[in-house]
Amino acid sequence: MSLTVPTSTTLVELQDVHLSFGSNEVLKGIDLKVNKGDAVSIIGPSGSGKSTILRCINGLLIPQSGKITVGRTRVDELKTETERIALRKRIGIVFQQFNLFPHLTVLENITIAPRKILGISEAEANRHARDLLEKVRLEQKANAYPGQLSGGQQQRVAIARALAMRPELVLFDEVTSALDPETVGEVLAVIRDLVREGMTSILVTHEMRFAEEISDTVVFTENGLIVEHGTPDEIFSKSTNPRINSFVNGLGGRATPLHDGEGI
Amino acid sequence: MLDGFTTHFIDLMKTVGLNFEFLTSGYEVRMWLDGMVTTLVLVVITIPISLIFGVLFAAALTSGKKWLAVPVRAYVELTRNTPTLVQLMCGFLVLNMLISNALGGAQNNPLTPFFWVVAITGLHVAAFHAEALRGGIEAVPSTTIEAARAIGFNSLQILRYVELPLAVRSALPSIINNLVNLVKLTTVGSAIAVGEITYASIMIWTQRDNVVELMLVILLFFSLINLVVARIGFWLEKRLAVPGFGQ
Repeated sequence: MSLTVPTSTTLVELQDVHLSFGSNEVLKGIDLKVNKGDAVSIIGPSGSGKSTILRCINGLLIPQSGKITVGRTRVDELKTETERIALRKRIGIVFQQFNLFPHLTVLENITIAPRKILGISEAEANRHARDLLEKVRLEQKANAYPGQLSGGQQQRVAIARALAMRPELVLFDEVTSALDPETVGEVLAVIRDLVREGMTSILVTHEMRFAEEISDTVVFTENGLIVEHGTPDEIFSKSTNPRINSFVNGLGGRATPLHDGEGI
Repeated sequence: MLDGFTTHFIDLMKTVGLNFEFLTSGYEVRMWLDGMVTTLVLVVITIPISLIFGVLFAAALTSGKKWLAVPVRAYVELTRNTPTLVQLMCGFLVLNMLISNALGGAQNNPLTPFFWVVAITGLHVAAFHAEALRGGIEAVPSTTIEAARAIGFNSLQILRYVELPLAVRSALPSIINNLVNLVKLTTVGSAIAVGEITYASIMIWTQRDNVVELMLVILLFFSLINLVVARIGFWLEKRLAVPGFGQ
């Protein structure tokens, strides 16, 4: 795969990233480039290292070798936890299991980080949080606790929480995998809006049609390597790699034209 | 009027065979009431001390830093597994003497028996709080912690805003149990002449042979304090309950 020198529009770049857990080699040389404003989907079989790539980008995992750049920050050269925390403030992440704070209301879940980490006033944080809740269509749930919400609602709160820090980049880690089929659509609709607004996004997903619809670039990972990357059309329709074809067809079938607002 | 009431009370008790004659002795009554006040003061001071150190010990135990966790673990094991009365004697008779010697005589030592009861019982129960909270902290799902790290919290903020609030909720029943025990534990002070209610009662009944009467009052007194402690705990549990969590 060809890699060019980072240009002014490159926000995230990984070069030859290797990571092992003990003797288990999870990433075997990942190269990935994400331009500002782009949506990149990472697809591939379970255990191929998709989620691990996301955790390397925000410094939750530290690879053994390779270069990772986010904006002007060399993530692989960060030495202290303080430096990594500074990085994480700039990157939002949404998890498969939502991981909301169960003892805080929806509003508190969204405002706690801006207030306690950025030192934003409660009134200002609340105002921003209500705007975000409107964006994820949950303004009426501000005072509910996570335990009172459906999975889809919790996941939309988690997206609002990630956006509350005004991140440069949002990572989505299989955010619909733990949801009931009928609530997947509402979460994907929120992500679609975000991508259209130009939020740089990296999505690990099994929603093939969704990936095809919203992505600027799709990468296919297998066994810790990026096997192929290209436009959605190149991956989903024109790939000559039989492994990719069988994976794509096995999950949700060959992509068919998608209507706006359709979930899966 | 109060005297009239006291006399009436003493007469009434006499009819059921209880001797409360000591209530007519100003000296004994004062000692007895001082004992009640001392017990209440001990309770009011040792409860927050035990809670503060319980949180600190739990933070140290779960910090992942060996230089913090190992000494606190050793302390917790030592204090949990040995009798409080023996610890109190060790503190007051051994440590206190060493401190006195180091300061050039007991007259220079500011530490009173009262201090030793507060320190020993408060820190003793803190060890139990620490274990209850440690369990609660370790029960917080690793995914929740990961989310907190990803959002940009440092480890102290994670402890304060995520782990402790969740741990307190799950540990509260144990903590209230520990506090009920702490209230009762203050009576060990009588062994080193701290004038709390048990000590005052012993002083009175060795003169008057009215053990049963004073014992009844002691039992009632502690039952009342612990009823209040348990009610506050119950109220806190209700107040901190989170819909859809831990129910």
